Amino acid sequence: MRRSSSWIKHNLRCRSRSGLRLLFAFLLLLLWPAAPCALVAATFTATLDRETVTVGETATLSLTFKGGEPKSIPALPQLPNLQIAGEGTSRNVVIDNGQFSASISQTFALTATQPGEFIIPALRAEIDGQVLATQPLKLTAVKADSSAANAAGEKLAFFKLFVPKKEVYVGEILAAEFQVYVREGVANAENILQGFEQYAGCPVKAEGVSIFKTAHAQRRRMRSGNAIYGVATLITSLSPVKTGPLTIGAMEVTLTLQLPLPNQRSRDPFDPFGMFQQYERRQVALTTEPAALTVLPLPKENVPTNFNGAVGSFSMSVTAGPTNVAAGDPVTVKVQISGRGTLDSLSLPEQNAWREFKTYPPTTKLDTTDALGLQGTKTFEQLVVPQSPDIKALPPVSFSFFDPDQKSYRTLTQPAIPLVVRPGGSAPAPTVAATTRAAPDNPPPAQDIVHIKPRLGTLAQIAPPLVQQPWFLALQAVPLLAWLSALVWRHRTEMLANNPRLRRRRQVAQIMRQGLLELRQFASDKKSDDFFATLFRLLQEQLGERLDLPASAITEAVIEEHLRPRGAPEATLASLHELFQACNLARYAPIRTSQELAAVIPKLEAMLRELQGLKT
Amino acid sequence: MSRLMLAVARFVVRGLGIGKAMPLLAAVVISLFPAQSPAAVSAAAFDSANKLYEEGKFAEAAAAYETMTKAGQASAALYFNLGNAFFKSGQIGRAIAAYHQAEQLTPRDPDLRANLQFARNQTPSPTLSPTRWQRWLGRLTLNEWTVLAAGAVWIWLLLLAVLQWRPALRPPLRAYVLSIAILAVLLCSCAAAALRETRFTRTAIVITRDTAVRYTPLPESATAFTVQDGAELLVLDQKDEWFQVNAGPRRTGWLRRDQVVVAGR
Repeated sequence: MRRSSSWIKHNLRCRSRSGLRLLFAFLLLLLWPAAPCALVAATFTATLDRETVTVGETATLSLTFKGGEPKSIPALPQLPNLQIAGEGTSRNVVIDNGQFSASISQTFALTATQPGEFIIPALRAEIDGQVLATQPLKLTAVKADSSAANAAGEKLAFFKLFVPKKEVYVGEILAAEFQVYVREGVANAENILQGFEQYAGCPVKAEGVSIFKTAHAQRRRMRSGNAIYGVATLITSLSPVKTGPLTIGAMEVTLTLQLPLPNQRSRDPFDPFGMFQQYERRQVALTTEPAALTVLPLPKENVPTNFNGAVGSFSMSVTAGPTNVAAGDPVTVKVQISGRGTLDSLSLPEQNAWREFKTYPPTTKLDTTDALGLQGTKTFEQLVVPQSPDIKALPPVSFSFFDPDQKSYRTLTQPAIPLVVRPGGSAPAPTVAATTRAAPDNPPPAQDIVHIKPRLGTLAQIAPPLVQQPWFLALQAVPLLAWLSALVWRHRTEMLANNPRLRRRRQVAQIMRQGLLELRQFASDKKSDDFFATLFRLLQEQLGERLDLPASAITEAVIEEHLRPRGAPEATLASLHELFQACNLARYAPIRTSQELAAVIPKLEAMLRELQGLKT
Repeated sequence: MSRLMLAVARFVVRGLGIGKAMPLLAAVVISLFPAQSPAAVSAAAFDSANKLYEEGKFAEAAAAYETMTKAGQASAALYFNLGNAFFKSGQIGRAIAAYHQAEQLTPRDPDLRANLQFARNQTPSPTLSPTRWQRWLGRLTLNEWTVLAAGAVWIWLLLLAVLQWRPALRPPLRAYVLSIAILAVLLCSCAAAALRETRFTRTAIVITRDTAVRYTPLPESATAFTVQDGAELLVLDQKDEWFQVNAGPRRTGWLRRDQVVVAGR
């Protein structure tokens, strides 16, 4: 039996689990269409926290994967005189405005052992079957000034301004580093470094430059002379706007340094946590030597005709769509310029070849991949409207810029995109955006709309939705009423189960109703014996319920023993006595007529009412 | 009218005799009250509109389909074909509006989704494109969401009623009750969101080319930006014959009623 019971329990549990599985499967099916919500276009970017370091210093390279997990983290190539050490992987989940995005970041510490330029080549990673590549990065290592370092080693704190180049071109973008060194042993070094890391302003002062953004590099420890310093670094991107000598200065700050008093015992047994440590406060005014550079003008030779001042290193891609239009219909040309430079001020040059098109001002979108906004992609979307059906192609799009690394102008040109332009007014045949770089893995885009339906299908009258129809809303009350009814029924059942007197009262009331019907029947049938036997039973039941005694224990004696002490009215007692006597007499002298029997029933009903009103 | 017809019938019977009059009267009755049902009439009109489309008379086909919709007849195929006819006649905005109507009836029709997307691709920005959440929500009609949510609530309340009736079933059914309650809450939320999207959010679809969106609801007002035929814009407000529309951050302005179709909200 016990075994059977445990089997039933086990079976129920299993059923419950399988039911849950079914329900979760249903939920999964229901929410399956939501899965694309979690998907975003996969990206893979590589960024350096600093572009220039001194020999022995460490720069951090971050590889970030968004929108999917890479099949494997790409390995960095071995570069001579550059030590590479993996620092770890982090995962980040962001829910922004209902959009879910997850990213994985892998960081590497790069330490140059010799001065020079190190090119980190384009890295490739496969995410969800898609191969993505980063842009090459350049890290410059310069030789540390040993005399300055030795002198610095005696200081408690000092500033250092580092500008990677001595000669720059006007419009060229460069990153100036402002470094704060605080020697280990200064008690409030952590607070000072944190203060600089949270500094939101620009630490650099200069005239004749455009200052863009300031970012913070990772804090590091560095040996300078004979001392070890904690170093906070602020990097500011700037671009000179005029030629000639340029001086870049930095802010001047007076710091209060807390130095432990030398005569204090290092381990006071009464102050194990150093809470009562005493410090010497020392005011230190910090400044740095300004950096002097020369701003060169852009060369005046071989200037491309459509050069509009862009300086940096860029690549370009162009797409257009639709490519099958009626004359007068717009074509959207999308030009993406990616690379390093003053992306924010980059503008699309005038395209002289677009004379046969009506053009509208382009809209722009800037996506940067680093904190300074030096690298990224700027997208121009321009509407061009072919004015004549003779136009066969969208002319080549060209973009020129000055490359400061190569010290020369470069022009990027995308080939012409074929167009089909029909005479205006005719129906525009549907087309799709064409791209100059079709992805081989993507299915070919649709070339026309799906044809019309041959069958009309089910006709329906336009009606308000169910949720606004009164009959539907009223129908929703059915399960609610069912539940409320079950709740009330359950409540009453439990109340009866917990109250036996109430239960008996209800049972007796039922017996009384049934008994009175029987009495009337016996009276009409002139069954005197049955009539009085039933009458006696009803009196027993009612008195037993009122007095909380078994019905079989009720006799005429209860009048004196129980009812009179409870203060029952004399008239009631007399009437009750009379009914009991009638029952007794009937055993010996039965009443024969129906009228006589029926005359007893109202007396009994009156008696029962009085008894029901009697306090229990 | 019926009295007049009876009088005419008596006159004919008297004049021609019952034998000759009956066939004549039957022909008149058949011609006046054709045996075809309204559905058959609609199908015939639909077929003739399809024929116009196949002949390349797209504007005429669109007019024929539109006549049927104005008669109060709604079918997904009708709106789908209307959208195609508008598209082929170069009215991208009206095509998108018709596809929207069809979407209310068959949101999961792949042909419809393909054509709507295709039409949207022809429209240069600025235009509002539905978010992923809106696209997901739109996979079911409002009525389907409502029935699903109501069904879950029914099951949940009936289970609760059963548990009142048979308390011994509480332990094994507890997990079901909890799961169905969560499901009911989710579905009710989706139904509420669908109701908000379909009944309380209005989208204006531009039906004219190079349409100037103005800063204020006045014809003399300066142009804030320009939108193209087919652009879908969120309606923020209405004043007389003007709709205040939004096409993205800092792109708000006013359009005249005759320049847009407000998607069937």
